[in-house]
Amino acid sequence: MQNSFKGLRRAAGAATVGAVLLSATSALAVDVTVWCWDQNFNGATMEEAARRFQEAHPDFNLEVVIWDRADLEQKLQAQFAAGVTDGLPDIVLIEDYSAQKFLLSYPGAFEPLGEHIDMSKFAQYKVDISSVDGTAYSLPFDSGVTGWFYRTDILEEAGYSQEDLQDLTWDQVFEIGDTVLEKTGHPLFSIRVDSAADTRYMMQSAGSWYFGDDGQPNLENNAVFEESVEIYGDLLKSDIAKNVSGWSEYTGAFLSGEVASVVSGVWMTATVKSNPEFAGKWGVAPVPRLNAEGSINASNTGGSSWYVLSSAPEKDTAIEFLDEIWGGDADFYQKILIDQGAFGSLLEARDGPAFQASDDFFGGEPVWLNFSNWMQEIPGVNYGIFTYEVLSAITAQVGDLTSGDKPTPEIVAAISRQARQLTQ
Amino acid sequence: MADAATTGKQGMFFRSSFERNAQINGWMFVMPALVLIGMFMIYPVLWSLWMSFQVGRGMNLSFGGLSNFRRLLDDPILQRALFNTAIFLIVQVPIMLTLALILASALNSPRLVGRAFFRTAIFLPCVTSLVAYSVLFKSMFSADGVINDFLLWTRLIGEPIPWLLDPFWARIVIIIAITWRWTGYNMIFYLAALQNIDKSIYEAARIDGVPAYARFLHITVPLLKPVILFTSVISTIGTLQLFDEIVNFFPDGSPGDSTLTLSVYIYNLTFRFMPSFGYAALVSYVIVILVAILSYVQFLVARDRRG
Repeated sequence: MQNSFKGLRRAAGAATVGAVLLSATSALAVDVTVWCWDQNFNGATMEEAARRFQEAHPDFNLEVVIWDRADLEQKLQAQFAAGVTDGLPDIVLIEDYSAQKFLLSYPGAFEPLGEHIDMSKFAQYKVDISSVDGTAYSLPFDSGVTGWFYRTDILEEAGYSQEDLQDLTWDQVFEIGDTVLEKTGHPLFSIRVDSAADTRYMMQSAGSWYFGDDGQPNLENNAVFEESVEIYGDLLKSDIAKNVSGWSEYTGAFLSGEVASVVSGVWMTATVKSNPEFAGKWGVAPVPRLNAEGSINASNTGGSSWYVLSSAPEKDTAIEFLDEIWGGDADFYQKILIDQGAFGSLLEARDGPAFQASDDFFGGEPVWLNFSNWMQEIPGVNYGIFTYEVLSAITAQVGDLTSGDKPTPEIVAAISRQARQLTQ
Repeated sequence: MADAATTGKQGMFFRSSFERNAQINGWMFVMPALVLIGMFMIYPVLWSLWMSFQVGRGMNLSFGGLSNFRRLLDDPILQRALFNTAIFLIVQVPIMLTLALILASALNSPRLVGRAFFRTAIFLPCVTSLVAYSVLFKSMFSADGVINDFLLWTRLIGEPIPWLLDPFWARIVIIIAITWRWTGYNMIFYLAALQNIDKSIYEAARIDGVPAYARFLHITVPLLKPVILFTSVISTIGTLQLFDEIVNFFPDGSPGDSTLTLSVYIYNLTFRFMPSFGYAALVSYVIVILVAILSYVQFLVARDRRG
């Protein structure tokens, strides 16, 4: 009996020494983990930020983990719901459309960064997106200012120059699409049957959103929504858009040169640039506008921000890192703009040289200046907490939208009914 | 007399003491299993029953009385999911079980060369990795995949079929996929049961000049009835719980929600959308009740035929 106790005590002693040693080594190197969703884009910017932070803090180590965006959100949600914080990262990227959903559903899960970092350095609209009762919870990352990326060589072959593509309505774009298809054989767009994400920038270009001021769905008798759904349906029906399923088919269509253009946020630059074969053959035009009143040729798609988890073991280092690089290094923002098309939200960085520069990949055009100008004009909207619920309600009607058997108001009514069910 | 009484008493005492020991031992033996079942089955079931009365977003839950039931009665997505599940159930399960039965009796024939190879080959799909086969099916059924290429080459179709893009064809792909995956699994049950059928019955039938199709319909099928019942019950349950294929084939949602099933809906309610744990728990009880009703009906049908 005594012997076994001695053995136990010895083992416990060894374990204690081991634990002390372990914690001592881990104190030397600080490992901060980040979850995000695009190796070429937000992942690459984080790695660049880490390199810069390491110059002054050599013991700092950043691990970037890439997930699919939807998987990342589902994983976060599952762990928050289970109340388990093991294995969660220190910093996580959340899309602006989902920001309020997370902040309101899981109070206390995220660190109120506004209490540690001066938020007046950032674009106010980005700070507002992640604020609850006046407290900011995120470090603002990128803008989703939207442009129409197109292949200059294909459009020219069809007889369209850069001047012809300025300030168009969707009706005019459909005409251009017909001509391009006829003369070159290329569809103009790829359109996803499993995501109605395109309706987001259509809605916002008119300063409207899926919800009213009371947060309830505002879909029926909403002229902007009806027109957006109609355009989405027309794209599904028309031959000027190739119907695809999933993100990789969607981007693959224009990366391979099969379709001639894509309307997307400035962050799509990283993807567009990932095929150097078409360098110099891309241009960016303003996003087309709706016929609805108030719609302009400027809008927003996506955009996201960095959040620090309250449960993070290296919370303080993570905040210090975000504040020092993301909140202070204007030069860093020039680099990620050119390399990744990351249109950051730090105000002082916007006067930097990169934001004025022209880009050879886009035929020597000052694309960043254009994006900058469009961004000033984006109509502000409140995203609410149910954007993806409404998007799924729209895609549920893809069958009727594609066949064209039902009039749009009837489809909108069905969408509205499903959206109301999902937003309870 | 007194002796006898004492002995009797003693005997009784010993017996009851032995019994108590046996009882305690018995409980001790089943205790680990009971504790685990209690922790991982009974407690979650009761808790989810309690949850189904809760309303609220995320972790901000509160007691909502019957409001989830009201929501359930007027839910177009739930109706769609039920409709899709019903289609899979009515179309896919009979096709698969018939196919499995035919394959089993074909592979049971002692005259067939390479029986072992065919049995393995047909059983193999159900042990393949789900993700691997989903990726493969997705590429095969894409607009410019091998299936379309082949059909175009044979000139059976004029233009590519939008397998994964069209609500109707999406359902067909799912039906093909789960039939491919689970037919071999059901076939194994039938093969095992076929071994138990007395060969002399077939011999007698053959001597009496009963043709092969009649032997199959009037001997094989009736004698396999208990196994057919069993496979139809587990296939029904499997179809009601259909989930993995759908989320792997259509990670962002199927075209027009045409393959949305109850399980996928529960997952969406919990993890994809603004979490409504209470309502999701209630929808999961819909599955429980459906499984119970359908299984009971299948037992009734089988019993009636026997009588």
